[in-house]
Amino acid sequence: MLGSRAAAVSRPAGQLLRATGVGKKIDEAVLLLPTNVELGAARCVVLRGPNGSGKTTLLRILAGTLPPSEGEATLDGSPVDERHEATRTAIAALIGAPATYRDLTLVDHLVLIDSTWGHAGPRADERSDEILELLEIDHLAERFPHELSSGQQQLFHLSMVLVRPSSILILDEPEQRLDTDKRGLLTQILLDRKADGSSLVVACHDPAMTEALADTIVDIQPA
Amino acid sequence: MTGGDKQRLREVRAAIIGNRPDKSRSDALYPVYVAVITAGAYGVPAAQQLFRSLDEKWLAAHAWTPAGVIVAGTVTVLLLTLVRLVGRVRGPVVPPLPYLDLVVASPMPRRVTLGRNWRLSLGGSIIGGLLVGAVSGAGLAIANVAPPILLLPDMVGGGLLGLLVAELWLQGQVHASSPRFQTDSSLPRGRRNALALLDITSLRRQAASNVTMGGAVLAGDLRTVRLDAARPTTHARRVRLRASGPRVVIARRDLLGLRRAPWSALFGLGLAAAGSAGLMLSLQSPRTPTVAPLVSLVLAYLGFGAWCEGLRLHADNSGTSRMLGLPYRDTALAHLVVPVSAWVVSVIVVNAAFWLARLVPPTAFVWALGVGALLAGSHLMASFRGMPPPGVFGPNAGVPALIFWYARPLLATLVVGTAMTAWAARIAAPWVAFSWLLLLTAGVVAWGLALVGKRDARR
Repeated sequence: MLGSRAAAVSRPAGQLLRATGVGKKIDEAVLLLPTNVELGAARCVVLRGPNGSGKTTLLRILAGTLPPSEGEATLDGSPVDERHEATRTAIAALIGAPATYRDLTLVDHLVLIDSTWGHAGPRADERSDEILELLEIDHLAERFPHELSSGQQQLFHLSMVLVRPSSILILDEPEQRLDTDKRGLLTQILLDRKADGSSLVVACHDPAMTEALADTIVDIQPA
Repeated sequence: MTGGDKQRLREVRAAIIGNRPDKSRSDALYPVYVAVITAGAYGVPAAQQLFRSLDEKWLAAHAWTPAGVIVAGTVTVLLLTLVRLVGRVRGPVVPPLPYLDLVVASPMPRRVTLGRNWRLSLGGSIIGGLLVGAVSGAGLAIANVAPPILLLPDMVGGGLLGLLVAELWLQGQVHASSPRFQTDSSLPRGRRNALALLDITSLRRQAASNVTMGGAVLAGDLRTVRLDAARPTTHARRVRLRASGPRVVIARRDLLGLRRAPWSALFGLGLAAAGSAGLMLSLQSPRTPTVAPLVSLVLAYLGFGAWCEGLRLHADNSGTSRMLGLPYRDTALAHLVVPVSAWVVSVIVVNAAFWLARLVPPTAFVWALGVGALLAGSHLMASFRGMPPPGVFGPNAGVPALIFWYARPLLATLVVGTAMTAWAARIAAPWVAFSWLLLLTAGVVAWGLALVGKRDARR
């Protein structure tokens, strides 16, 4: 299984992602009330809450792309900061649309990502094909991103985050724009990742996915 | 086209205007008024200053020769080709979206419904040509380079050029219509039916793009303009990116990108070769006018920029979820490998050809290499400059401040490159100028890297 290989490559045992009283304010606007999250190895935390409650803000803080106004987010005791190699190596995040090159096909993107993580050679091609097959979009391998439907775009973005090695996956509403079958497929892929030792933080509005994935549910209160 | 169609269009226009006074004539004449004032106030003084700065002997030796005429002819043909390409993105006939949906989509003939837009563009193009002819003719006469009588043929030539530009512009727009419709034999072909050949889908696409680009230009967002104007890639989809080491794969990505945009690669090659040739020739005589290295650097900047799409796409993606394993700065530097290599190769080829023709010594190659580093630094600046600061939109700043802010990378290239090249051509020890070129280039590269760091820190 591809998920297990990716996890096995880089996963230091027992990495712990913790947010202690993290909140975010911009001037007088409160984006996130102080919140606690603790994520252990092979566990899944699902964030729930109404629109505007701060789920994406919390995910960005946990991914180290947004500094909190109060509290602290740490990875194994060190502050989470996306600019640090240790953070980037451990955490793969899909928060909003990721960077894509309009002149590369889907499979080219995956080969590029895999190569920049040091996985050159014929295995990079195989891994890219396997990921596309896993998400049932292998027939779109030679399409360019602008030639995809919105649901296919979402699956492509998920393939980009799944192909890179990581021990913690942070996903913002990964079920968006997916049909019922694809939501089931994604749930199974994420469960396999968890079984292989990866940890997950997922903001999710789908009750069935939440039920299947969550070890802990954090309800975010609107500010 | 019948009188009935014209009458119906008049009624439609009356319904659109409603009770307001019809200002269409004054709206059309106002830009002409502004253009005439601008040409007189700024164009003529600038033109005469330019012609004064040209050395007559140099001009006689280079411009009024068969080679000079060939160069001028080639430049004109290239510019006209560019006009036709522009027509594919933004043609001369782009009415507003509501007019397209409610009037152009009706059974009325397109020659009637689109005629006014075409006549406005045609008139604007001819008047523009006349003004260009008048400005250059007046500049030549005032600078005593040519007799005042030249003003008349200059204006006639300019007007004809304007007419040709408008026709090619329209041809480009017709060509951008859906190919399925272009081959429809039921529609009469030929220039006289060009407006009838424009299909509603391509007209709507251009109108929507016009709105997007107009807003982006007003907001100073050239990135949106660039992405909106570029046609989506569809070439060579079966060619796969080969897996490699982290930095090599970025360079391979850029090569693949150029393979999938062959016109961009060739455009870059042509301009870079012309620019490097001009730079090397500019070094050969102290009589070379300063405008020669200036124009050469503009060409070189544009050519180098055509190879930098990977770098720009990397900069565009800042602030999104990062997927690549390389640090942001390293990725930016890896994206410079292809354009710098392409520049070096084109410079070697041009230098070898000139050396065989005994036009320049082999050492001119070293100068062009230094300019290559300058171009790399200025394109780092251009790609990572981001959005203009709010200050340039303030009431005390205005459009010139916005243009200056955007043009800083080009200006850095032109100021450093032109000054050093002109100086090197005039002194006995050009290595002194070369040392200064390298020193100033290091400053431009450092500025570019600082902007990369700033974008990297944007979280």
